[in-house]
Amino acid sequence: MLPELFAMLASDLFLLLSLMTCLLDEKVPKALPYVFQVAALSGFGHLLISRIFFIEFDVNMRFWYNVFYLGVALTNIVAVNAYLAFAKKEWKVARLWSSAVTFPTIAITLIATTNYGFAFDSTLPPLLIPALLTFSLILLSVSTAVLLGSKVINRIKGGD
Amino acid sequence: MLFKNFKTTRSTRFLLLLMLSIVIGLANAAIFYSLAFSSTVSITNPTVIFVQGEDGSGVVSIGSNSSTASLTLAAYPNITLTYEQPLNISNTDAASHDFRFRHLTISPANGTADVGNFSYICFTILDASGISQATFNYTTSGNDWITPATMDPYETLPANTQWVVYIETMAAASAQDVSASITIAVDVQ
Repeated sequence: MLPELFAMLASDLFLLLSLMTCLLDEKVPKALPYVFQVAALSGFGHLLISRIFFIEFDVNMRFWYNVFYLGVALTNIVAVNAYLAFAKKEWKVARLWSSAVTFPTIAITLIATTNYGFAFDSTLPPLLIPALLTFSLILLSVSTAVLLGSKVINRIKGGD
Repeated sequence: MLFKNFKTTRSTRFLLLLMLSIVIGLANAAIFYSLAFSSTVSITNPTVIFVQGEDGSGVVSIGSNSSTASLTLAAYPNITLTYEQPLNISNTDAASHDFRFRHLTISPANGTADVGNFSYICFTILDASGISQATFNYTTSGNDWITPATMDPYETLPANTQWVVYIETMAAASAQDVSASITIAVDVQ
């Protein structure tokens, strides 16, 4: 398994972000889809650099710069989610975004990263996998709560 | 004027971005698959190497990467001269490897009278318990060397083991003290 898989995944996430923000152009800045396209193009640059310096760069170095780029893509997904929820107060859209984009992408990333870690035995720090799994569980709980909505929460609290 | 009147709708922008996304995605996939299917050849130090033996001082010179050895061997008329342990063959790896000896060069050159002074130069490979595993012999025919064929089959050297190369030489009865220089290589399978 090549670490460049993370760069390709991150680039695809930026493309997804670009298309999604284009559909939500009334709620996000107009330039955002194009910014994400440029970010996706930088993923192509990542892959190209890996291809040119395949022998010179060792696998550890390639792993970390590809994972960093994937981290940037995930941060952007979470940031758009937070922007919709807190800056624009678009709770419905934020809820939808959380369950349809944020959670699946983080879950896919976790699977890919842990799979890579197991394949290469000691590439990942030992505490990273439990930490990411805990984070994933917290995110799942939050997503479920947000998806159920305030009405259900109020009903649980004893409201109408 | 034409461009001024051209208003981009959400669907045209989406279509444009979708096309760009397809192009970028395909380019990424092409680069990734060219990486995934490119074969790599790594160059490492050899694990089966020549090592100078206890009696090798002044006799043996180990070549680059320790995969070749040059020996300067003397011979006495009608007497067998023995080099007990001039050269060792060592496997530094944790796995066993197959190896063979291959003749590279010898001097004096064929056609010179000095060659006729030699009767034979015999290399014997002894394992860790002193048992002969293979031989690699140089003999003469008139003023020409009969060099040994490349060892076949390969010999198996166990992991982290060193074997001894034992050498015997002899010159013709009429010869004076003579010497020969031989370079051999080790091939690893």
